[in-house]
Amino acid sequence: MMLVLLLAVPLVGAGGLAVARGAWLGRLHGLVATLTLTASLAVTVTVYRARDVTALDGFLRADALSAWMVALIGLVAVLAALEAPRYVTTAVAPRFYALFHLFVFTMLLAVTTDDVGFMWVAIEGTTLASVFLVNFERTRASLEASYKYLLICSVGIAVAFLGTVLVYFANVQLFGDEEYALRWTTLLRLAPGLAPQVVQLAFVFLVVGYGTKAGVAPMHTWLPDAHSEAPAPVSALMSGVLLAVGVYAILRFKPVVDLAAGPAFTSRILLGLGLLSMAVAALFLWAPTNFKRMLAYSSVEHVGIACVGLGFGGPWGIAGALLHIANHALAKSTLFLLAGRIRAAYGSADITAVRGLLHPLPRTGGAFLAAMVALMGLPPFGLFTSEVLIFGAGFAKGAIVEAALGLVLLLVAFGGLLRSTQAMLYGVPTGPAPAAASGAWPVAPVTLALLLLILTGVAWPPGLGDALEQLAAIVGP
Amino acid sequence: MTAATSLLSFAGLVVTLAIVWRQSWPGRLRLFAFQSLLLAVLAATLGVLAGRPRLVLLGLVFLVIKVVVIPRVLYRIGSGMPVRPVAPGKSSGITLLVAGVLIVVAYAVMLPLRTVTALPTAGAIPLAFAMALIGLFLCVTGRDALGHILGFLVFENGIFGLALLATYGLPGIVEAGVFLDVLIIVLIMEGVVGQVRREHESIDEPKLRELRG
Repeated sequence: MMLVLLLAVPLVGAGGLAVARGAWLGRLHGLVATLTLTASLAVTVTVYRARDVTALDGFLRADALSAWMVALIGLVAVLAALEAPRYVTTAVAPRFYALFHLFVFTMLLAVTTDDVGFMWVAIEGTTLASVFLVNFERTRASLEASYKYLLICSVGIAVAFLGTVLVYFANVQLFGDEEYALRWTTLLRLAPGLAPQVVQLAFVFLVVGYGTKAGVAPMHTWLPDAHSEAPAPVSALMSGVLLAVGVYAILRFKPVVDLAAGPAFTSRILLGLGLLSMAVAALFLWAPTNFKRMLAYSSVEHVGIACVGLGFGGPWGIAGALLHIANHALAKSTLFLLAGRIRAAYGSADITAVRGLLHPLPRTGGAFLAAMVALMGLPPFGLFTSEVLIFGAGFAKGAIVEAALGLVLLLVAFGGLLRSTQAMLYGVPTGPAPAAASGAWPVAPVTLALLLLILTGVAWPPGLGDALEQLAAIVGP
Repeated sequence: MTAATSLLSFAGLVVTLAIVWRQSWPGRLRLFAFQSLLLAVLAATLGVLAGRPRLVLLGLVFLVIKVVVIPRVLYRIGSGMPVRPVAPGKSSGITLLVAGVLIVVAYAVMLPLRTVTALPTAGAIPLAFAMALIGLFLCVTGRDALGHILGFLVFENGIFGLALLATYGLPGIVEAGVFLDVLIIVLIMEGVVGQVRREHESIDEPKLRELRG
């Protein structure tokens, strides 16, 4: 029931926003976002207190992993929703808000359905809902970005479909027609008997397919364009949680494949792709011209880090990876929102156009600096902790070479980010002074996100450790 | 059953190769519609031979969407374009050679499936997968937006064929999702391509190179 409510809020809200007009629009938008967050947190608390929640005869099901994602989606959606009114004019607002909440709905659906076939439909839905949002400014560049996004992600998702078909094939082969053959719980139950070669082949397709959505190199090529051209709230949602939904889909299949074919196979693939993503991103981070693109490449890097953690495996590696996904979601969505304000103030997203950011925009600039420090993985922020967990798991497992290589790539990316941030924050302003900064209250949500990051960094709130343990048990070994 | 499904899949693959070979847009579009027709017949045949009426219905839906609706939309997108791509492209010889290699690859990749199944349709699975691979190749190497879309649709057809042959159709809700997706993607593409054309006066891919690095 609770899950139905969680999904109904953004869906009904999207419908209402499509027809609402005038002053009601902004209020309704805020209300829907707030209710979504409330429902998300309610589901999360219930799941961590009382284990799994199911609805509609098991079709919807939230376990610890789903709840983790639901909470993230709810949080980032509210952060992004608060910024959205800055980017829409009244003429297009109904469409923007409606698509925004529809996008949130598809992501929530993807992480709460137990049917992996339907999860596929929902993830495809995320592309369809967000493609118009990417092209919302209707410039040449955003048009090209949305075209690339649609085409590459459609191909990717079709590959994931192929993987799903093969999983179903392996399943049906053994046990004949089962009504619930694509239910994740069924798959997990039958996994030990599935034909290993078929399941491995399926996993390759699934990783390539959902990896495209997750922004894993070398399938990441759509990501920098779409993330940099979309309006800031949409970039925040895409970078913060859409990529995480892609990783989530891979995570649903990982335990099935591990049970059928042993954990070494998935671990090797995820480790390899993770390191490749980190390498590709580290190189590009040394030569960015546009700060939104820089943030987009940094997302590729962090998805790579999460994959490396999943590849190392073990309770620490997996807990680290999932914590890292959450930390990254908070830090990156904050940064995209701030980048949107900086872009609006300077009228350009070029790094060279922004000099001495701290003087004209002390609040935005200060928050940007703090969030960049978090993103670079420095203490006291949470990304430091999750990176320590991940690479610690690597060394503990004995994968010395891979872990060391990962650390080197992390340093290279760190240097690149530091160089661009330094160029933006300090230096002598070249152009005319940007438009005056806005008031204090818009900084509040950003501050909240940063405080949460400090919490996951230095003082785990009660329950977080338990939650991560539950996650590791689901995704394990 | 084996003979019928293998024959239909083989015919589908031959049509795919013909799409690779043809240069004229209306010709390729007709070939695509024909390929979709073959797959619709495949679904219906499987439905009759395996005693699954749902597959016959699936074939009908497929017929409406991929043989009638989508080719019409694509025809509208393509109208007013030169029949053949203006830019000099790769020779058909090389692309056909690549397509041939992809068929071999498809057999190699699908080997694990054949070792575990006793389905009468097993022999045709690599043929459908080859169709998908060649479609992907067309999509990646397409010279303009139409080429990309056509490649994508051939790819989708191959995957649909594979799903039919390997599992006799997936649970209904998933199939509905697949059809809806393909339809929406093509409709969005129509909008996007329309806007590209208004702004660029052309949909040649080389002009879409603003975003790099």
